[in-house]
Amino acid sequence: MRESTGGKIFVIFIHVVLIIISLTCILPFLHLIALSISSGHAVDLGQVWFWPVGLDFTVYIYFFENTPALRAFTNSVIITLCGTALSMLATVLTAYPLSRRYLYARKPITTAALFTMLFSGGMIPTYLVMNSLHLTNTYWSLWFGGLISTYNMLIMKSYFESIPGEVAESAQIDGCGEVQLLMRIILPLSLPMLATLTLFYGVGYWNMFMSVILYINKTNLQNLTVIVQGMLQIQGNFNMSAMDMMQQQEMVSEKLKAVGVVVMVVPMLVVYPFLQKYFVKGIMLGSIKG
Amino acid sequence: MKTTPAAVGTDRAPAAKEAFYQTKRFRQNIPLFVMLIPGVLYYLIFRYLPMGGLVIAFKNYNFRDGIWSSPWVGLKYFEILFQSNVTLQIIWNTLNLSVLSLIFGFPAPIIIAIALNEVRKSWLKRWIQTIIYLPHFLSWVIVAGIILTLFSIDGGTINKLLGQWGMEPVPFLYRSNSWIAIFIGSGMWKEMGFSAIIYLAAISGIDPSLYESAGMDGAGKLRQIWHITLPGIRPTIILLLILGMGRLMEVGFDQVYNLQNPTVLQKAEVISTYVYKVGLQQAQFGLTTAMGLFESFVGLVLVLSANALARKFDQGLF
Repeated sequence: MRESTGGKIFVIFIHVVLIIISLTCILPFLHLIALSISSGHAVDLGQVWFWPVGLDFTVYIYFFENTPALRAFTNSVIITLCGTALSMLATVLTAYPLSRRYLYARKPITTAALFTMLFSGGMIPTYLVMNSLHLTNTYWSLWFGGLISTYNMLIMKSYFESIPGEVAESAQIDGCGEVQLLMRIILPLSLPMLATLTLFYGVGYWNMFMSVILYINKTNLQNLTVIVQGMLQIQGNFNMSAMDMMQQQEMVSEKLKAVGVVVMVVPMLVVYPFLQKYFVKGIMLGSIKG
Repeated sequence: MKTTPAAVGTDRAPAAKEAFYQTKRFRQNIPLFVMLIPGVLYYLIFRYLPMGGLVIAFKNYNFRDGIWSSPWVGLKYFEILFQSNVTLQIIWNTLNLSVLSLIFGFPAPIIIAIALNEVRKSWLKRWIQTIIYLPHFLSWVIVAGIILTLFSIDGGTINKLLGQWGMEPVPFLYRSNSWIAIFIGSGMWKEMGFSAIIYLAAISGIDPSLYESAGMDGAGKLRQIWHITLPGIRPTIILLLILGMGRLMEVGFDQVYNLQNPTVLQKAEVISTYVYKVGLQQAQFGLTTAMGLFESFVGLVLVLSANALARKFDQGLF
């Protein structure tokens, strides 16, 4: 198809804008990674952009040896792995029955779940429920508090519904029970969706912040997000109050900030490319029906 | 004459057939209900039970008596809420930040999706998509860390750059206007690429022959976007607008909490952060629950009215 000159300029303009936006999404990370491994002197002089100047990994060693970060990292991994498994299990077990047309009370149960997306008890009543169940200061408060994301559950339900009914019916005529049907037919056909939601839940648990500061008071149970946030906070005060602090120490703390962020991001960057192709497909399939 | 087995089935009385399907349906339902147990328990205990706990907005709650036995105080906390300048300022801040976020943040993914749709080289499109989805997966703690690294007054990259050019450092994060700009910009930066996915899905559902015939009639790119793409994704836009309206009363706790600092608190304190600080840390349960209830209730009204409005154009969600 021929295109007018105006059309060509428009397309070039679009490309330039999109590339600039992409750069703003990736350059801050390169900058932080470069900051975190450059020498403190170069960082202080503002010489570091996107390429490290004078390699120096001492802050990484300091980060893991002198702060609660290592234990927090382990906590994050435990919270994420168990939480994702529990959430996926609960989500599948809720979405599947609700996707079967012959389920009694299907509409009211779905509506009741939907309603929680519109109205909630809020922070304090939820906290009081957690507290009265003695779940605070245990990971169960984190896992139970967000066990099912209603949004995820509903897109999984609509995905299950989109699987042709004949597939399930023929299996049922062959004497396949509900559990077998779910395990052998429905789930294998839903792999892109399962991968998508696993990624969503996993990221949610890895990044979990509010629930942890609400429900977990003990430092040795806190996750990496909270520990890194604490470092960023302390630093702000520290820089303002202690102007006479040695230059060296201030550089370390500024680099520590970068190290904390990099340590949190890298595991995500490692997993993300593998799951990316699934989640786009998963969201698209889930969103078409809405 | 013998009947074939198939004919027996068809000859069966309708009532018996009905009963047969009823028992079959009932038998099928038992395992389904067993599967539903964890989900139903979750919704009852962690979603609906706290809604019952909202009564403490009308009670002088204390730990000793618990939720049900604490004495009633009626609308006392709501009166305090709407008479105190502090709380009114916080409600106003919440609306201010969320309305601005919606105004600037809502069109951005639509524009991105339309622009991405014009990228014909598939490898480039894939690269751009992969990169702009990424910020969505980062926690606000990380984004706040990046923002501190870039904008902080001492040692922030931008101020170092300004210093090298011989300029005075600018306290971006300590002036309320530039703080609000950074707040909204960071929200857009984090979510616009990812939110574009849904619009991209909607655009891919538009019949390509529409573009072809429009092209033949001499419509340029912009006209095609205006007359075909935008109407084509209108249901999606309205759907997401309803959802966005419903969230108008809540700006994300994580975003505000991680970006705010004492200097800009006058503009940066919102309902959720106030409920956390005053309610939980200072144990003022009644007042802050009232505030949370007000937030949830206004949110509910907003989403229902947005939906009613959308229904007038046959685009309602419920």
